[in-house]
Amino acid sequence: MCVPLPCHTGVVTRGLTLVLLGGLLQLGCAREEGGSALEAVRRAGVLRWGVDIQGGEPYAFEDPEQPGKLIGFEVEIADAIARELGVRAEPVQNDWSNLIPSLERGTFDIALNGLEVTPSRAGRVRFSRPYYVFALVLTAREGDARVVDLASLKGHRVGTLANSLAWETLLQVGAEAVPYEGVREPYLDLAAGRTDAVLMDDMIASRYGADVPGLRTVGEVGEGRYAIAVRPADNDLAVAVDDALGKLLQSGELRKILARWKLDNARQEKLSHDVDTGAPSSQRALSGGHVLLFLQAAGMTLLVSTAAMLLASLLGLVLAILRRHGPGAVSALCVIYVELFRGTPLLLQLYVLYYGLAGVLDLGPVTASVLGLGLNYAAYEAEVYRAAMTSVPRGQMEAALSLGMTTPLALRRIILPQALRTALPGVTNDFIALLKDSSLVSVLTVVELTKRMTITAVDVRSWFLPGLLCAAMYLAMSLPLSRWARHLESRLVRA
Amino acid sequence: MIEVQSLTKNFGGRAILRGVSLRVSPGEAVALIGPSGGGKSTLLRCLNGLESFDAGQVRIADHQLHGGVTPAPRALRPLRQQVGMVFQQFHLFGHRTARDNVTEALIHVRGEETSRANARALEVLTRVGLAHRLDAYPHELSGGEQQRVALARALAMEPRVLLMDEPTSALDPERVSDVVELLRGLRDGGLTLVMVTHEMKVVRKLATRTVVLHGGELIEQGAPEEVLERPRDPRTRAFLALA
Repeated sequence: MCVPLPCHTGVVTRGLTLVLLGGLLQLGCAREEGGSALEAVRRAGVLRWGVDIQGGEPYAFEDPEQPGKLIGFEVEIADAIARELGVRAEPVQNDWSNLIPSLERGTFDIALNGLEVTPSRAGRVRFSRPYYVFALVLTAREGDARVVDLASLKGHRVGTLANSLAWETLLQVGAEAVPYEGVREPYLDLAAGRTDAVLMDDMIASRYGADVPGLRTVGEVGEGRYAIAVRPADNDLAVAVDDALGKLLQSGELRKILARWKLDNARQEKLSHDVDTGAPSSQRALSGGHVLLFLQAAGMTLLVSTAAMLLASLLGLVLAILRRHGPGAVSALCVIYVELFRGTPLLLQLYVLYYGLAGVLDLGPVTASVLGLGLNYAAYEAEVYRAAMTSVPRGQMEAALSLGMTTPLALRRIILPQALRTALPGVTNDFIALLKDSSLVSVLTVVELTKRMTITAVDVRSWFLPGLLCAAMYLAMSLPLSRWARHLESRLVRA
Repeated sequence: MIEVQSLTKNFGGRAILRGVSLRVSPGEAVALIGPSGGGKSTLLRCLNGLESFDAGQVRIADHQLHGGVTPAPRALRPLRQQVGMVFQQFHLFGHRTARDNVTEALIHVRGEETSRANARALEVLTRVGLAHRLDAYPHELSGGEQQRVALARALAMEPRVLLMDEPTSALDPERVSDVVELLRGLRDGGLTLVMVTHEMKVVRKLATRTVVLHGGELIEQGAPEEVLERPRDPRTRAFLALA
């Protein structure tokens, strides 16, 4: 199965909202103080489990033959656990990156969807005993002899999913971890030479990486566990889930489910032994190092936004002029450009530019980000300029022409200087919008401010401080711009 | 200097000009009068190519314009450098001072040195009585001052023909005679003037010939005193009775 678009892109736009929601909920929403979570589940007769069905085969996904019906090994495990508890399992669709925040706010009772047990996550939720043991599979390009094991990754660019066990492993060995949001793109980028290696769970590696030409599997360099996440306060439910998993293991049903999905192997022997999922590491606080990383990310946001806005302003100006004064065919092309780039999602454009055209156009992530944002915003700037040019009275052009000026000269000396004054506040506003839209480029593996926040939020197990820091840094960039825009506007009114 | 032959212009299915013919010799000052909507401003705009027309032709300062053809702005440059225009709404460049309004075309069309252009601007602005307003922006000038800057801007280019749409409409009464005096001097120096005006005093003092346009037709022309005192066409009489 191919995953052409990122599964979890919502996180970038939803991040800030979540900070506010999450912050409030963490303060106020410890559900049903003293009440038993297990009793609540039994009373309702339903065990609601959080899952992202976009995660794909074999986890939990829509049956291609029966749309609407969910299948996958995790569906079967959820059903089996619910059966042990004497209730019925009900899947609740949730963006994968937000499974844990959603669990915390009470959207569902448990989260069961390829959640790896990492020290960061273990400090935030209560993990059940594992239901699957996975291997970390290292993949490199054919003929690249530099990559041999984990230690050899030091200083190399290595693709993986942000906040996964592989991510934390890479940071530990001093590799430059490149965060992806989809599972296919890391392998395509590796083949294209944009990274030096990919470290992923074996399930992903075998399904999404094995068929990419030009790559070789270096080997299994570590292992980890999938477990079910339960709210720490719901201890009785967690114990019941542990018991249920233990029974499924003893009866052999769990292994049968894994075998049905061709997931059973010698590694799964370990499921019987390790009941405990390992002690959570102590909570990490937001440190000076984090702040430094935030500043670095803010620099990236500023760099990408400024360069993109520069491109957008210049291209937009050219588009606006050609649309008004170019020959018919050129003018029509400009209209098509504006409608095309305004009328399709920026995210899709970034994807096409970076992944879709990878064979034709070998762009680095930052270059592709600047180009993608710039090309998109040029459409908006063209409209701002066009409106501003329309607002310059017709007589100005007539007077210029009557003095013997050519149209280009009249545009340069007479029309544009007056139009740009009118356009400037609008352009500044768009710049502020661009600053925030630049968070979308995290899908091209660029770690900018919003991405840094989501990564740090998992690291310190709270959205609150990273969110505040992120918001503060955006404001520190956008407020001066707003002030400048207002200043320009008031000057315009006086003129 | 100007020869208009059977000029016809339609706009939106309505005839604006119906076969107007007119000859103007060098040094003549022609006043176009007549009721609003008669085609006076349109005729003026046809003379420097701001409006295209459907049939007939215009020869002006050795340049030819043909009906049914929209010439490229570039092709009109030589014509426009010799034919000045003063608009009814002035159309001063809003982002430029009075001086820079005048020097703009001197520097960027004629390629003059800035210092020379500035000297020229001072000279023409002095002639229209605005030597003290060099650094004022259009929005800081009164209507009458703006109109005089617009006149200075056109004169600075040393045109052979000057087209003017209501050139005294915004002026204080005492200023009108100054401007008329200035234009008379230029006329006597050989500058050809064509103006649209509603002010009969200006027609009498400045024009060498009066042309009456009505409903897109040239209905009467002659010396100002003749047309204004003894109009032959009843439509001219009706117009003058109200003017």
